[in-house]
Amino acid sequence: MLSIQIHKQFDAFALALELNAPQEKIIVLFGASGAGKSLTLAAIAGFVTPDAGRIAIGERVLFDAACGVNLSPQARRLGMMRQDLALFPHLSVADNIAYGLQNKTRAARAARVRELLALTQLENFGARNIAELSGGQQQRVALARALAIEPALLLLDEPFSALDAQTRVDLRRQVKTLQQRLRANIFFVTHGLGEAVWLADEMAVLDAGRILQMATPREILRAPKTARVAEIIGVKNILPAQIVNATTLRVGEMELRVEPHALAPHARGMLCVRPERVMLVRPDSPNAERGNTLTGILLDEESDGDTVALRFRSDGARLQPTRAFDLQIDVPVYVYERLNLARERHWRVALKPQALHLVTL
Amino acid sequence: MAIFKANLARARARFNSGRIALLGLASLLTLFLTLPLLALTLRAIPLGIDAWLSAATLAALQLSLITATLATLIALAIGTPVAYILAREQFRGKPLVDTLIDVPMVLPPAVAGIALLMAFGRRGLLGPALSVWGIELPFTTAAVVIAETFVAAPFYVRSAKAGFGAVDRKLERMSASLGISNFKTFFRITLPLAAPSLISGLLMTWARALGEFGATIMFAGNFPGRTQTMPLAIYSGLESNLDSALALAMILVVVSFVILFAARAQSPKGLTLG
Repeated sequence: MLSIQIHKQFDAFALALELNAPQEKIIVLFGASGAGKSLTLAAIAGFVTPDAGRIAIGERVLFDAACGVNLSPQARRLGMMRQDLALFPHLSVADNIAYGLQNKTRAARAARVRELLALTQLENFGARNIAELSGGQQQRVALARALAIEPALLLLDEPFSALDAQTRVDLRRQVKTLQQRLRANIFFVTHGLGEAVWLADEMAVLDAGRILQMATPREILRAPKTARVAEIIGVKNILPAQIVNATTLRVGEMELRVEPHALAPHARGMLCVRPERVMLVRPDSPNAERGNTLTGILLDEESDGDTVALRFRSDGARLQPTRAFDLQIDVPVYVYERLNLARERHWRVALKPQALHLVTL
Repeated sequence: MAIFKANLARARARFNSGRIALLGLASLLTLFLTLPLLALTLRAIPLGIDAWLSAATLAALQLSLITATLATLIALAIGTPVAYILAREQFRGKPLVDTLIDVPMVLPPAVAGIALLMAFGRRGLLGPALSVWGIELPFTTAAVVIAETFVAAPFYVRSAKAGFGAVDRKLERMSASLGISNFKTFFRITLPLAAPSLISGLLMTWARALGEFGATIMFAGNFPGRTQTMPLAIYSGLESNLDSALALAMILVVVSFVILFAARAQSPKGLTLG
């Protein structure tokens, strides 16, 4: 069990983090810049001393304010890899990897370096200078150097954010494979949702120094615990709702059917609808009259090349009467073209009960 | 047609009057800086072997090499930790310490000489205390080393400080996280990365110590074989033995040039004294 409790007060920011996670997994700490991710890593690595708390990997206690335990960074035996890599520019690839093995014999060191060069597919690069390597190769050296000391925990601080998309995907895959092979404990910090979901066995959502939710990425995507979590993980439609009964909500001027929930009538909550889960139905389609539908117009759109974000406003009863639009709907570009959405602006949208997720305030 | 016009414009630009004036000034300055060295060289070339190898020349050369090297070693031993602290630590009064260490670089050497006398002279601040131990510094070879260290050490401290300051602390943290002690980290990461600045600082210090004149003559006097370094020998030679003075001057010119050249090659961004 990886057990982390950190309390640290700064002038304008407080870190109050509690997290328990199974070992031999990839734990992803996900949050926006300024959420406290790097600070958390610095505290785990021993470069920042918490005011209170306890950090332990299994039976091994790295920090315990109550007992006065505070191991030095050297004694913690954690491998670190940062976005800026911090490779030693005056040492060769092999010497970088061997750096943490200075108390081993020369032969043991050489054997370990060979092993790691093979593991990271850098077999022929041992004698090279760091500056001669590509960005992706440098990342692999940094990873090999961190793995060389057989760390009790591997801390990865946004390691791939400076890379191009293709290299990033390759390295992500390598990290996952390596983790499964070595059964390593990995603590991975990122602000990229895709990366977090792809890598995580367990994912912790960090915001303003606190962990809002920790679960498998599937679970977090399916059922964010609070409106803030929903917002952080990219749920674009978060609508105030009032409970009518176990399967019905009142949202704006409409009543929507939802899957059974446990909240009492008249309670208030927030309805989360992922923008890609809103269905577009042709207004004249025969099977469109089954509730949870709105007829209206597509107001405008934005595209990032892959996805088009459409803003939809109901003609009749509104979900958000005070706003210019009711729903954001994301469709892939090919669907946008196939449905001829550039011309045809009148649609009926369907909100299936399983696409609706209710959170308490 | 367009190409022709562009060529014409470029030709005009090349010969415009501002550019010509600039080039003229640059040539004038270069000439002004080179001419004395050239004149010296022209006089030194025909010198006979006895001018280069006379006892006086060799004695001054030997004394200069020994004292400048000792001064540089002292600067290395004491200046390195000072430079490291100035580069890495924040403390009250740091700007003051920084400035004080730099002062000897801009101080007229005569002022340095009189100040050293006031500190270590027989009737100076520490004179009585030193004489209790039977130590008398002024007008000894030790005084030469002290004068040279006083004037030249700041060059090393400045350069080393810049070198340590430029070493990325992330690398040191990374070394710590890999289990390496702070002491070892200094020798494996910090020192090698700062080495070019340290070496260029040492070269500059050595060259400055070698050329020290004013502070030395005031604090150590001008005694052949004991305190008469090369610059002092040149000064005396002007009256008694011009050939020997010319030979020594020529040696100093060559040494200065080689040192500056080497320091420039060491320092990645070219030579800076800051």
